[in-house]
Amino acid sequence: MNPKDDLYYIGQVLEGKTNAFSYLVEEHKDKAFNLAFRICGNREEAEEVAQDAFLKAYRSLKDFRKKSSFATWLYRIVYNTAVSLVRTRKNRVLSVEEFPADAVDFLGFSTTEEEAADDYRNSLINFALQKIPEEERGLVTLYYYNEIDTEELSKITGISKSNIKVRLFRARQKMIEIIKKAETKNVFYNE
Amino acid sequence: MSFTMNNQEINDDSLLRKFLNPGKIEKAPDGFTSKTMTRIHIETQTAKEKQGFLVKNRVPVISAVITAGLILAAALITAGDTGSVGSAIWKYFQDLKFTLPVIDNKYFNDLNLPEWVSFALIGILLLGLFDRALFGIFHRWKAPKSPKGDLKLL
Repeated sequence: MNPKDDLYYIGQVLEGKTNAFSYLVEEHKDKAFNLAFRICGNREEAEEVAQDAFLKAYRSLKDFRKKSSFATWLYRIVYNTAVSLVRTRKNRVLSVEEFPADAVDFLGFSTTEEEAADDYRNSLINFALQKIPEEERGLVTLYYYNEIDTEELSKITGISKSNIKVRLFRARQKMIEIIKKAETKNVFYNE
Repeated sequence: MSFTMNNQEINDDSLLRKFLNPGKIEKAPDGFTSKTMTRIHIETQTAKEKQGFLVKNRVPVISAVITAGLILAAALITAGDTGSVGSAIWKYFQDLKFTLPVIDNKYFNDLNLPEWVSFALIGILLLGLFDRALFGIFHRWKAPKSPKGDLKLL
């Protein structure tokens, strides 16, 4: 979908056709949910956050200035909603010692050693992503999963472009440390 | 077999891109769109109900306010009373040197209409303008259209 389609449906909603909003939800739900999920760390909260964000977007649609894309605007709402939820509930983050045993369940499903190695790396990286602070989780998710450049990231998070680069670098460094520790704790899987 | 990731591998941006990319996003659960739209419809309905009374009944409400004002004025301004606030206001209006303008209706003399008709017409015109002004104010509060007949839910 190109941004013009989003603007078309926004126009329809503003004319009173509430159901036109369902096209916007359908189009952006997966990336919005993924962002909420990566920040919150569980599906139930992520669903609530993503729904709340769409509801907030619907309420404020008349204030949408079209300076950025609808997606950027929506991600900003999801990001802020998710981060504030995590802050208020004192997010319980898995300790390194809690690197889930099911993270290596792939051993039974992977057909080749290469696939197994990829699945293992995938688990480690996602585990590390869950371990870094919520703001950085949001940044990494938006940058890699949603493929948003640093300029758009700056609009979404309100953090300057240069600071975004610094924070992304720091986030990567933290992930490295977490992965190293997790691997040390799970050496028996590396034999 | 060894799956251990070395520093260079972890620090490599392309590795993160390999595992954290749009193809690997966590998809929204089934029914997400319909659940969200249900919440939006409930919200829209509630908003309509909240704004309902004053907006729906704006004409009787304004009439009631004007009538109450007139009744209050009548109660305050009693005949022959000279000491009350109401009578003071009434006296102020009486003291105003207000005269109705003389309308040159020589073109309508043949119609033999009484002179008050001209004032009545002006009054109607003013009331019409007042009505348009009120419409302009309340039109902004117009409730959203019913979703009936809109685009279908996906």
